[in-house]
Amino acid sequence: MGAQAVEAGLDPADALAAMTDAIRVIGEGFRVGDLFLPDLVGGADALTAATPIIEEEIQRIGAKTETMGVVVIGTVYGDIHTIGKTMVATLLQAEGFTVHDIGINVTADEFVAGVRKHKPDILAMSALMTMTAPEQRKVVESLQAEGLRDSVKIMVGGGAITQEFADSIGADGYNPTAPGAAKLARTLMGR
Amino acid sequence: MSMTRGFARQFPPLKVLTDEQVEEIHRGTLQVLWSTGVYIEHERALKLFEKNGCKVDYDHKRVRMPPALVEECIRQAPGCFPAPARDPQPTLMVGGTNLCLAVAPGHKTVDPETWEPREATRKENYDAVRILDALPTVHFFSPYTPYFGFRGVPSCMAMLESLAARIRNSTKFHCVGFSNDSEMFAIEMAQAVGIEILGTCAWAPPLALYHDAVESTYRFAEAGFCLRVITGQVMGGTAPASIAGAIVTNNAEALSGLVLAQLIRPGMRVLAKDFTAPMNMNSGAPAFGGIEIALHNAACNQVFQRYGVPLDNTTAYPNSKIPDYQCASEKAFRVFTAGLSGGNTLLFHGSVHGELTHHPIQAILDDDMAGMVGRFMQGVTVNEETLALDLIEQVGPVPGHFLNAAHTRKWWKLEQFLPQSADRLTYPEWLSSGKHSCIDNARQRMEAILSSHKPQPLTPSQEESIERVLEKARAHYLKQGLITSDEMGQYRESMKSPDYPYE
Repeated sequence: MGAQAVEAGLDPADALAAMTDAIRVIGEGFRVGDLFLPDLVGGADALTAATPIIEEEIQRIGAKTETMGVVVIGTVYGDIHTIGKTMVATLLQAEGFTVHDIGINVTADEFVAGVRKHKPDILAMSALMTMTAPEQRKVVESLQAEGLRDSVKIMVGGGAITQEFADSIGADGYNPTAPGAAKLARTLMGR
Repeated sequence: MSMTRGFARQFPPLKVLTDEQVEEIHRGTLQVLWSTGVYIEHERALKLFEKNGCKVDYDHKRVRMPPALVEECIRQAPGCFPAPARDPQPTLMVGGTNLCLAVAPGHKTVDPETWEPREATRKENYDAVRILDALPTVHFFSPYTPYFGFRGVPSCMAMLESLAARIRNSTKFHCVGFSNDSEMFAIEMAQAVGIEILGTCAWAPPLALYHDAVESTYRFAEAGFCLRVITGQVMGGTAPASIAGAIVTNNAEALSGLVLAQLIRPGMRVLAKDFTAPMNMNSGAPAFGGIEIALHNAACNQVFQRYGVPLDNTTAYPNSKIPDYQCASEKAFRVFTAGLSGGNTLLFHGSVHGELTHHPIQAILDDDMAGMVGRFMQGVTVNEETLALDLIEQVGPVPGHFLNAAHTRKWWKLEQFLPQSADRLTYPEWLSSGKHSCIDNARQRMEAILSSHKPQPLTPSQEESIERVLEKARAHYLKQGLITSDEMGQYRESMKSPDYPYE
C-alpha cells in the first residue's frame, strides 16, 4: 500500500494522513462495537507496513508531518502478554501518535534504552500479572536513576494494575481499558 | 466411604469426534512438532532434546521433535496416578475414568452484599481454605487458591503464603505454580512437612516455553513430584480461531511439555492440560463462559484417551460477575461436559468471575452442582435388586405404592443426591420461611462450616517447618529487591496478630 502510494505520486504527507484517518475510523468502529479486534489489528498491520515507505518518501522530498507525540510501549519483564499492549499501541496510532512498540518481556534496562533511543513524550507499560506489576516500579526507578524520569510522561495499564498502584509508583496516568488508555495519552499531551 | 477421591464415570465417554478425526488431529500435532517446532528458552533443555534425537536450532531456540520420540514419551507417561495428600485416605487418583474437581482461584474476594471486588484479608483467605476443606466435592486445591494473595503480602510471596495457608488449613492435595523461583521454596516446604505437591510447567502460546517454566519442570522432576503442563491459549489470538486448529496447538504444547518431563525423568507423572478459550473480539479478553470451551475440552479428552494420558479440562470460569443464572449455566456446561467426556481434573469451586474473583458462597453453591455431576457419573445400576420386578409385582396398580417398602428405604438414599443449598421447599413453605434463595442457604451453610469445621492440625514441627521456609523466602526476596523495605515493614505489621498466621 505504501509503495503503491509512492508509485502513484501521491503527496506522502497526505498519504500518511489518510492512513491515520483510516485507522481512526477503524478505532472508532471498534470503540462502538461495530468492528472487532481482527479488524483493528489488520488495519494496524497495514499501517505498520506502509508507514516506513511513506516516511522515507517524506524525508526524501523534505515534506513536513504532524504527530500527536511519540510513544514507547512494551510489556514488562517476566510478562509475555502481548494482546492488551498491542491494542493500546494500535489505538494510540489511531489517535495520531507515533508508536514504537518494543515488545514483551522488556527489562527495565531495555525500557531505559528505548527512552534514550526514541526520546518519547510518553512511555507506556503493560503488566497483566500480579507478580510482574512490581517491574513497572523498577522501570520508573531506573529512569530516575538515569536522570530520564522528567523527560517522559509514564502511563501504565494491564490486568494487574490499579489506580492505587499507579499512584504508588509515581506514574502520570492509568486507565483500565485500551480505548481509555489512548484518550489518556492525549490528556497527558495536554490535548 | 469411597477408597479414592474423585468421581468415577461408570459409562463410556461422550464422543464428539470420529476415530479418524482423532487420528487427523494427532497426525497434525506430530507435523507441527516436527516441521514448525517449539521455542524453548533453556540451554540445558535444548541439549537434552538434541541428545534424544530432536533437531535443535540453538540460535532461535527452536526444537523440532521426531514423531517416534513423541509417541514413545506418550507411552512412557502413566495413564493414571495417585496424588497423595496430607490425609492420604481417600487417595486422589488422577486419570483413567476419574474426574477430580479443584478450587478455582480468584485474584480478589467479592463483597457478598454488593458483589464488588476487593482484596481479601489474611483471615478471609484462611477461613475460605477451611470452608473448602469441609466441602466434600473439593478433591484438591489448585495453585494460589482461593486468592492470589491477601492484604499485607508482597506479590512475590503470594504463591508461598497461599500454599502455607492451604497446608495449614486443609489436609487435601495441593498444586503450585511458579514465579520468581517460588517453586523452589514450595518444594522445600512440602518436603519439610512430608507431603507431595503437583508442580506446574506453563506455556506461553503459541508454542513458546520460557526459562522459568522449564526450570520449574526440572525442579519438580528432580524432587520426584508430579507435574501439570499448562497451555493457556486464546482462539483467534494466541491460537487459531478454528477449534480443530486450536486442538492441534494445545496438543503440541501439552505433548512437548510431556516429552520434556519424560526426558528429564522417564515415567514422570504428568497431567496435561487443555486450557483454551475463545477471544472476546470486542475486548481481547478470554471469553471464559463460552460453550466452545466445553466442545474443545470434549474433543481434547477424546484425543488424550487415545494417548492414555490424564487431561485437565482447566477451569469452569464464568464471565458473570455474580452467582446468577449466567454464572450457573456457564459453570454447569463445563463441569457436566468434563464429567461426560472424560476430563480428569477441572478447576471449579468458588470462581465468581473469570480468575478475578472467588467467594466461599460461590464454592458452596458449586459443591451442589459438583455433587449432581458426580451422581450422574455413577450412572444407572442395573441388577435384579434395582430392577425390582418382584416388588413391582407385589405392589401392583393403584392403590398400591412404594413408599412403605424396605426397598425404597434402602434405595432412595443410594439413588438420590441431596443438594444442600438448592431450594426444594414447597411454595407455602418457601413463602412462610423467609423466601430464601439458594444464595441465602449457601451463606447459612458457610456460617455453619465456619463455626464447626476444624481441619486436622499440623504437628508443631510441621508448623515450624512452614514458617522457617516462609522466612527463608522472605529473606531471599528482600535481598533480591522484590520486596522493598517499606513493603517488608507493612508485611511484618500484618503478621503481628496474636492469632497469626490465621488472622
